Amino acid sequence: MLDATLRAFTLLFTGDPDLWRIIWVSLKTSVFGLLLATPPAVLLGYMIGLHRFPGRRIAIWLAQAALSLPTVLIGLLLYLLLSRHGPMGSLQWLFSQPGIVAGQFVVALPVLLAFTLAAVQAIDPRYAETAISLGASRLQVMLRVLHEARFGVMAAVLSGFGRVISEVGCALMVGGNIEGETRTITTAIALETSKGEFAQGIALGIVLVSIALLMNGALMLLQGDAHAAKDRA
Amino acid sequence: MIQPISLQGMVRSTPVRTGDERRRALLGAKGLRKRYGERLLFDIGCMEVATHSAYVLTGINGAGKSTLLRVLGGLERAEIDSMRFEGREVNPHPYPKAMREAIVYVHQHPVMFSTSVAHNIGYGLQVRGLPKAQAAGKVEEAMAWAGVAHLGDADPARLSGGERQRVALARARVLSPKLLLLDEPTANLDGQAREQVIELIPTVVEAGGSVIIACHDRDLIGLPGVHRLKLRDGKLEVR
Repeated sequence: MLDATLRAFTLLFTGDPDLWRIIWVSLKTSVFGLLLATPPAVLLGYMIGLHRFPGRRIAIWLAQAALSLPTVLIGLLLYLLLSRHGPMGSLQWLFSQPGIVAGQFVVALPVLLAFTLAAVQAIDPRYAETAISLGASRLQVMLRVLHEARFGVMAAVLSGFGRVISEVGCALMVGGNIEGETRTITTAIALETSKGEFAQGIALGIVLVSIALLMNGALMLLQGDAHAAKDRA
Repeated sequence: MIQPISLQGMVRSTPVRTGDERRRALLGAKGLRKRYGERLLFDIGCMEVATHSAYVLTGINGAGKSTLLRVLGGLERAEIDSMRFEGREVNPHPYPKAMREAIVYVHQHPVMFSTSVAHNIGYGLQVRGLPKAQAAGKVEEAMAWAGVAHLGDADPARLSGGERQRVALARARVLSPKLLLLDEPTANLDGQAREQVIELIPTVVEAGGSVIIACHDRDLIGLPGVHRLKLRDGKLEVR
């Protein structure tokens, strides 16, 4: 155990190419998936949060239920869609990085949506009304409200990142843990450890914990800023 | 305690002229009803607003003063049989663009966007696509008008209640609205802050706009030349 931990640090600090390749694939697919999911999720979160329409409560219910959807189930659905005979089989995304990105997109979407929705709902409705009354268009009102809700929206993005970087089920089902190609931090820990690669598993675990600490530190800073802004108001 | 003497003195210098020959029809509505479920809040047979005029709208709490202003400002829907704006028949839903550009509603407790005071005041000009240099000039003028010129770069969250209300007035006035709807602009203000706000009202009318103020403030109701409207039992009384 101690030996494996020492070797884990050696792997991390000597720039082991396999290890850093895994980290790079993880970061790349997570960030891409997140970047793709953020605009539609924020837009939907805003629309549901600010507008009254028939079926709104059902939309909120679905968005929140999607939060607790196991990622392995999302992986299964995507697998069926992307497999050779599936409706999206012609894309040939199964067991490839675009496939993982698609998975991260679907995994991130409900987190981003639910958090943005909560952030927009927490914003005083007078902000939107003031913008409307001063002549802002629908788009301008949206930008104004999202600006006022920016701490909450940034928290949504950080939470979404936390979810995609740490999920294993979907990346495993859709990516297939192919070395150098679709092996991510979580799939490597899940599968390589069973082959006796303890040092790599521990090293990747350290990376994940560091990312979690960084993300939560950033969240705390954001919340601190948000509270400070509220205190001034 | 209010100080009617200093106020009256101030107001006399800029009276709101009732028999103003420049007055003409600005906004008219017939059959204006607002319901919340089964409950009928008000049922106004006919309402007329003229240019170059100041109106105070009184009524007990819950009479529907704010709601009426919000309906006129296009922030809430109501049943309206017919509506005219600047002599033209208009469809109140969706709220007409011409009215959106001409009518500005100011909340009882205005919120400030979390930018600067100057940006808040210039927001309406910015969304209208006015060139920056031109907008800056107007913002400066509006800040001077409202007595907040020294607060341009200030964080709006740090403003006092009175300053906030004056910034909100400047933010509306900079757009030169044809109709300004003020919801209890002096509520929760006292002393000098309250007087400064009251002082600004007649100048809006002098500049060619009209204003409807929902309020309980005796000094606003008592401003010379102001037309008095009262919402009572769901009806609008013109006094």
